[in-house]
Amino acid sequence: MTKYEKADVFNDAEVTADPYPFFEYLREMGPVTRDPLRDDVVHVTGYDEGNSIFKDDENFSAVDCTTGPFLPYAFDRSRDMDEQIADCRKQFPFADSIINQDLPAHNRSKSILNGIITPARLKANEEFMHTLANEIIDEFIDDGRFDVVSQYGQPFAQLVIADLLGVPKEDHNEVRGLIGAPDQMPGTLGGQFDFANNPLMKMGMHFVQYITDRRANPRDDVLTRLAHQTVDDGSLPDPLEVVAVATFLFGAGQDTTVQLFTGMMRYLSEYPDLEDRLRADRSRIPDFIEEVLRMQGTTKSTFRLCRRPITVGGVDIAPGTHVMLHLAGMNRDPRKFENPGKFDMDRSNLRTHVTFGRGIHACAGGPLARAEGRVSLERMFDRFRNIRIDEEKHGSPGQWEFDYLMNYSLRGVLEMQVLFDRID
Amino acid sequence: MVKITYIEDNGERHTVDAPLGLSMMKAAVNQGIEAIVAECGGNCACGTCRVYIPEEWRDRLQPPEESESEMIQYSGDEDPGVRLSCQIPVTEELDGIEVRMPKSQY
Repeated sequence: MTKYEKADVFNDAEVTADPYPFFEYLREMGPVTRDPLRDDVVHVTGYDEGNSIFKDDENFSAVDCTTGPFLPYAFDRSRDMDEQIADCRKQFPFADSIINQDLPAHNRSKSILNGIITPARLKANEEFMHTLANEIIDEFIDDGRFDVVSQYGQPFAQLVIADLLGVPKEDHNEVRGLIGAPDQMPGTLGGQFDFANNPLMKMGMHFVQYITDRRANPRDDVLTRLAHQTVDDGSLPDPLEVVAVATFLFGAGQDTTVQLFTGMMRYLSEYPDLEDRLRADRSRIPDFIEEVLRMQGTTKSTFRLCRRPITVGGVDIAPGTHVMLHLAGMNRDPRKFENPGKFDMDRSNLRTHVTFGRGIHACAGGPLARAEGRVSLERMFDRFRNIRIDEEKHGSPGQWEFDYLMNYSLRGVLEMQVLFDRID
Repeated sequence: MVKITYIEDNGERHTVDAPLGLSMMKAAVNQGIEAIVAECGGNCACGTCRVYIPEEWRDRLQPPEESESEMIQYSGDEDPGVRLSCQIPVTEELDGIEVRMPKSQY
């Protein structure tokens, strides 16, 4: 594996297309190891080591969570980090989004979010998913094929979040068009991405109107509840704080969910008996989804910025170091998962993967994503069978040819053509 | 500091000195008790820090808020003593409490 000695994880297209051998190369050097090229980056592929960092809000900050070392702020590693982190947030509002906030500010955003994603809302939202899945399948059922990314995943994920947040039905068409350019997402190789050039800005403007209107004219709807959600100290937040969380959800629930679907299609194609097995016992669909999440989780890597000197996994980490937590590597730690490279939905510790992260920043949309996967597969099984990736387009199982998202944080394909036989 | 004992499904006991003000979840996680998963880090959003409070202790705890009750229901755990340990602050009244933990938090 010596070819990785000079690998630049932030620029290397080959590592991005198939990151798993690179993670194994890192693991050979230890569960925590320094970057081959940069002295401000440390890699974590160890399951226990990564989780100890996720739980440690004292020594690590999430300010660099989505960007890693490509924050547009030069940290002086000899100076106090807390002061600089605060300064960085002041200069760059995106570094103060819920996913990047530390305690106690994060508690405030989290109370807004907890008001949105409640068990009751999830239940109602799941009913919407059933109808929506059918409607989207109607659009391509006659073709015998579909692109999982653009024809199913994107509209499904967008409209599920729209429904969760209570966006009125008449605005749903507009929501469907809000797809971000893949090369403008945080984590794009080379570190060049522009947060300002984001279609979600438009969604944010809608939400300013929704929240302002529902505060003035309360109705019996989800937006009204969202508009009146109080934060941890019992006060009513500024409408813009609510808008920030709501808009964040649109971004967070987009590609992550889309690629859960492509992952599901991938394994159905690689193991042709899986479809029959799941059809015969649909109660196993959740286990199938968990194993897809472990093997092909969308967020392959995330970051924490070290605030104070600390030793993890025998490696001394200095303040100012960007710790790159490879979720996809932790999910294949052989100390935790036996025969980790094998797809096995019968493993006993299926649910202990870290695809949704851990700790205060653990993905709040985890239950939502699981439901989206389950409902979609149920509906697909009702409407068509013999689900398989188009081999003419994408090559043969195990040697797939896909165009991958050129991103060091997110794993995904840009297109996946799938064939099926319609059930009449 | 108060003493809290966490008992695993197989009977293994872990007694910890829990600082006042911390949550019962955090007091366990800080001592490396793995049967408390606490995926969401204490946001009452995952249902993976469940503990079973013995009957004689239940009245000494503040009753669960609606969000905790909803999350417990969502988890499907129907044990009469089930609570989310992230929602229970460590107080002096809890000194000596022994709580059981589920075989699996999933």
